[in-house]
Amino acid sequence: MKTKTNPFSKLFVKIIGDGKRQKFTIPAFTIILSLVVGCIVIAILGKNPFSALWNLLQGSGIAPKVRYAGGKSQLTDFFSFMNYWTPMIFASLSVAVALKAGLFNIGVSGQMLAAGFITTITIGYSTLSAPIAKPLVIIMALLIGAMVGALIGFLKYKFNINEVVSSIMINYIAEYVIAFFINTKFVDPVSRQSKTVSDASRLTLTGVKIGDLKIDIPLGIILAVIVAFLIKFIFDKTTFGYELKAVGSNRKAAKYAGINVGKNMIMAMAISGGLAGIAGATYYMGYFASIQPKVLASTGFDAIAVSLLGNSNPIGILLSSFLINIIGTGSTYMSSAAGLDAEIASVITGLILLFSACGAFIQYRVKKEKDKIEDAKKYDRKSDGEEK
Amino acid sequence: MNTVIIDGLSFALPLFVMAIGGIYSERSGITNLALEGLQGAGAFVGALVAILLMEQFGADSQLPYYAAMICAMLGGMVYAMVHAVMCIKFKANQVISGVVINILAMALTVFLTKAINRTVFGEPSDKFVLGVSAKWTIPGLSDIPVIGAIFTNIYPFEVIIIVIAAIAWYIMYRTKFGLHLRACGDNPHAVDAAGIDVAKVRFKAVMMSGALSGLAGMSFAYSISANYSSSIYVGYGYLSIAALIFGNWKIMPTLGACLLFGFAKSGGYQIVQAAGMPSAYSDLVMILPYVLTLLLLVFFSKHNNSPRALGEIYDKGKR
Repeated sequence: MKTKTNPFSKLFVKIIGDGKRQKFTIPAFTIILSLVVGCIVIAILGKNPFSALWNLLQGSGIAPKVRYAGGKSQLTDFFSFMNYWTPMIFASLSVAVALKAGLFNIGVSGQMLAAGFITTITIGYSTLSAPIAKPLVIIMALLIGAMVGALIGFLKYKFNINEVVSSIMINYIAEYVIAFFINTKFVDPVSRQSKTVSDASRLTLTGVKIGDLKIDIPLGIILAVIVAFLIKFIFDKTTFGYELKAVGSNRKAAKYAGINVGKNMIMAMAISGGLAGIAGATYYMGYFASIQPKVLASTGFDAIAVSLLGNSNPIGILLSSFLINIIGTGSTYMSSAAGLDAEIASVITGLILLFSACGAFIQYRVKKEKDKIEDAKKYDRKSDGEEK
Repeated sequence: MNTVIIDGLSFALPLFVMAIGGIYSERSGITNLALEGLQGAGAFVGALVAILLMEQFGADSQLPYYAAMICAMLGGMVYAMVHAVMCIKFKANQVISGVVINILAMALTVFLTKAINRTVFGEPSDKFVLGVSAKWTIPGLSDIPVIGAIFTNIYPFEVIIIVIAAIAWYIMYRTKFGLHLRACGDNPHAVDAAGIDVAKVRFKAVMMSGALSGLAGMSFAYSISANYSSSIYVGYGYLSIAALIFGNWKIMPTLGACLLFGFAKSGGYQIVQAAGMPSAYSDLVMILPYVLTLLLLVFFSKHNNSPRALGEIYDKGKR
């Protein structure tokens, strides 16, 4: 019996490659797949998909727009892109740390909100000077986020509560309790949001004049890149990182190997929560300067897509968050330029999520196809030998 | 007191039917965190059908209401197939798949609601306005003190849900299919050895959970706001998951959990209103079901025995 290999799957296997290369090719494949589906949706709506995608790049300051308002240029667009990118990186790293330990932190948005709110009312409304206030904001946000995260880890370890359920519950509790406090104590009667924080405590320098441009400079972006490399180091080079991964891949085996599973789970969630806390600080006290009650930041959910796409690898996340952020920030410009609803952006993000969740399947199929091809080769060789 | 019972029931029953869906899926071995997205997607289809029919038959007709219920079930069922395919065929991580499905459902329905409103109905709106649901009061029975409230101002969906819940209970515990389904969640290899297709049983179970969630979503859309918008995603799907964990993956105890949630919610509102507190305080009351969920889980999660093969990808070769 001769197994048939069709040339298409042969080509596919060749392109996807193996081992190391799959780390790049599979996410790239899922992105292309979801962009294609997104384009089809846009085309069905009667719009030109390619100009819509180009609008996304223009809105993010990566491609030049046709016309700019006074004090703005491609550079200002790119800086505001980075301003939104910063919390995204932290939030995605947060998801990634939890994922490495086999936990799914879907409560990033709630942790962001809790940390953002408490730092806002304590430091944001204080009269501290900038050199003290800014570091203090980050430290405080880190601690608050870590506390919430540790609580989720503790509930999981001690009471066997699914972390997804508990973190969603905490999301809603945070959302409503904080909305209550904002509406009763800290509301700005005009904007219906919390009062704006002091400029000294804000993590983004707004309206910095460079030449005739007015630029918003996000200070957190530097920290975000440093933290990404730091986490990469922790994952790859420390005992703690090793234990974390062991717990994530097989809890029972880790336990038999003498690893303290509970401690590692709680630590992983604490770090994850802490990172989410910093994301909250850079979001609510950087990108924004106030909190809208009863709204959870979509960043926390997009971060899941970013993290899956980046394979929970901190460096991969820097790349994938860049991509997802183009969709997020560019969508406003796209909706005005192409007349599409900005919500299409979240649909495309959702599709990327869906396809990247199938990553394991693609890997599996590629392996199967490859085995098939190799079998066929072996068979060919064997039958050649018999003929001689 | 009467309003507590009336509102409590109209909240608890949809929650219950969704939890039954969750039980079906989880007893068959597929973790289903997608309930939240399934109810939203199902309700979206139902609401769309309802407003299309309302244009045809006028706002007074009751036909759109029942059509909406049926179509919401179908919509939820079709959307649940995505979860089923991901978990069963593509062997994706079931927790991740569930969450992804929720996020995608929210993005898709919000986008489509807006797009359809603009292109089909020519108005910029992010919601479908549904007609007001009929309410039934059973004469005689409703005059009994206290218990009478159960028979006052019943939404028709409550009756539908009770009937469906009874059928679902019967299928689960009294039919061969139910037996196979429960076996799939505990020992899929044995089921396979008995010559039954595990994947097929699980697929059906997940589709069933989609149908029941769609019905629940449509009921929420009618009872809470009489319209369909993104406000349907307020975590009731997760609440029903908590209810079924608390109910130990069994249908009758889960009903108890759902009733508890329902009365906690309506009771809390009543207290805020009775005490004449400003509306901001209702935000605090809103957290009651969530806090209750966490507390209950703290006490009950550890002693519960979830289906043994829950969340495991079935692999024929693995022993």
